[in-house]
Amino acid sequence: MGNPASRAQEGAWAEQLQRLLLAIEASGRAILPSSNDELLQTIVEAAARLFGAAAASIALVNEKQQTLDFKVSTGIGREQVVGMRIPLDQGIAGYVAMTGQPMAISNVQQDPRFVQETAEKTGYVPRSILAMPLLSNDRVIGVIEVLDKINAPSFGMQDMELLGIFARQAAIAIHSSQQYERLGEVLLHGLQDLVNTEGGPEIKEALDRLAERPGEDDRAADLMALADLFKSIYELGEAERKAGLRILAALADYTRSRPRYA
Amino acid sequence: MSDPARPAWSSQFAADALRELPAIGPLGKITRAWAWGGAPPAAGQGVRVAVIDSGIEADHPAVGGRVRGGVIVEYDARTKTQVRFVEDKQPRDMFGHGTACAGIIHSLAPQAELYSVRVLGKDLTGKALQFAGGLRWAIENQMHVINLSLSTSRPEFFGLFHALADEAYFKNVLLVSAVNNIPAPSYPSLYSSVISVAAHEGHDPFTYYYNPEPPVEFGAPGIDVSVAWLNKSTIVSTGNSFAAPHMTGIAALIRGKHPELTPFQVKTVLFACAANTHSTRSRRAGQSRM
Repeated sequence: MGNPASRAQEGAWAEQLQRLLLAIEASGRAILPSSNDELLQTIVEAAARLFGAAAASIALVNEKQQTLDFKVSTGIGREQVVGMRIPLDQGIAGYVAMTGQPMAISNVQQDPRFVQETAEKTGYVPRSILAMPLLSNDRVIGVIEVLDKINAPSFGMQDMELLGIFARQAAIAIHSSQQYERLGEVLLHGLQDLVNTEGGPEIKEALDRLAERPGEDDRAADLMALADLFKSIYELGEAERKAGLRILAALADYTRSRPRYA
Repeated sequence: MSDPARPAWSSQFAADALRELPAIGPLGKITRAWAWGGAPPAAGQGVRVAVIDSGIEADHPAVGGRVRGGVIVEYDARTKTQVRFVEDKQPRDMFGHGTACAGIIHSLAPQAELYSVRVLGKDLTGKALQFAGGLRWAIENQMHVINLSLSTSRPEFFGLFHALADEAYFKNVLLVSAVNNIPAPSYPSLYSSVISVAAHEGHDPFTYYYNPEPPVEFGAPGIDVSVAWLNKSTIVSTGNSFAAPHMTGIAALIRGKHPELTPFQVKTVLFACAANTHSTRSRRAGQSRM
C-alpha cells in the first residue's frame, strides 16, 4: 500500500489530468473519437448539397498502412463505401492523395474498368467525379470526392476552385479534430495507467470528487496552457507525438516505481 | 458554352477578359507558318519529350508507339539524393494521368519521342524528392521539352526546384509546367524560365493565349478534354494538367523545326504566335493550326 504522501502526489497528478480533460471538454473542443466521424459526416453532406452531387465521400490517409480509408459517405452506395480501404497507388483518389492535386473526370461509364475495383465493391459506377485533396500544412491528410453532378454532365473548373476552398476549411477542422482526438487518447491512456497503480482506488475517488465540482480551481488556466502545449507538440509530427506518449508513460512508471513505505 | 464564373487562375483567358497584345517590330513577323508550319508541317521529329508523371502506358494507341524509354524514380533514404533510378523498359502507368498527358503531346507532335519518367510510388514518403529526381534525370538525359503536369506547393522545396529550373534553362531544356488547380503557389510553375500553363475553355488544340501578368503565362485547352487513360481506354477530364501538354506539343513542334532556338527564344516564338497577339500591322492570329 502506498503511503499517504505518495498517494497524495499521485492524486495530484491524476487530478491534473482529469482537470485537463474536463477543461478541454468544457472549452468545446472535440476529443472523443466519435466526434471526428460526426464532423466528417457533416462536411460530406454539406459538400454534396453545395456542389449538387448525388453522392460524396471522404477518405483519410492511413500512414501506417499506406492506404486511403473511406470514413464517411452520403448518397448512393453509402453503406458499401464506408469502411472501404484502397492502396494509395490506385484510382482517382489515390492519384489525388499522391500528388495533392484535384482531378475532375466524366464519361466514366464509357469505360468502367478504371474504377472497376471500387465499382465491384459498391455496385455503383458514377458518371462524373471531382476529387480534391484535404491538405493540412501542405500535407495530404485525405481526399474528398463529390460524385455525379446533378443537372450537368461534369464538374467544371469553377466547381474545382470552390471545392478547393471548401476542402481547405474542411481539412483544418478535420486536422484539429484529429489532434484533439489523439491528445484525448494519450491523456486517457496516461490516466488509465495511473488508475491501475496501487493507489488506483484512491485516485478514482479523487477523480470522482473532482468530477462533481469541476472548474473551481484557479489552476484551470495553467491546465489549458498545458493542453495547448500538448497540442503544439502533437502538431509537430509523429515522432513528437510518440515522444509525448513516452514522457507520460515514463511519468506513470515513475510514480509506480518510487519506494513505498509500509 | 462559356461559364460566367471562372476560377481565378484561368479568368485571364476568358473571352471577355483576354487582352490583345502587340507584337512589335520584327516580332510581328513571326508566324505560325514559320514557327511550326510548312509542307509538310513540323511533327516534332528528333525531339525528346519527357513526361514526368505517373508513367506512360507504352502500348496505348494514343501514344502511337512513340515511347522510346522510361525510368522509375524511387524513394530511397539511404542514398545521398534520397532517390534511385530504375530503368523502365516497358513503361506502365499507375493511374492514367501520365498517359493522358503523353496522348495529348503525341496528338500535336506525332513524331516526337516520348520518355516516361514515373515519380509516383506506392506511398507518400519522399514524393517531392522523387519529383525533383525525375526532373534531374530528364535534364541530365538531355530532353528537349519536359512536361510537368505535377507541382509542389511546399515552400521548403522552392530552392531545390528553382535550382533545377535554372539548370534546365542553361542546358537548353524547356520546362512546361501546369499551374496548380487549387489556389496555392506551385513550383516550378511560378519560375520565370518556365512555360506555365492554365486551362481555357476552348477545344481547338492549337488555340492558346499569352498572359503577361503572373501567375500564369499561357492558356491552353484543359476543360472537358477527351484523354487517354489506363488499359487503352479514354475518359473526359478537366484540369490545368491537360493544358500543359498542349503547350508541350506545340513547343516540341517548334524545337523540331528550329533546333537552334533556346528556351527563351521558344517562349518568344510562343508569345508571337499566341491567338491574342497581333503584329502592329494588325495581323491577327487565327484559331487554327496556321
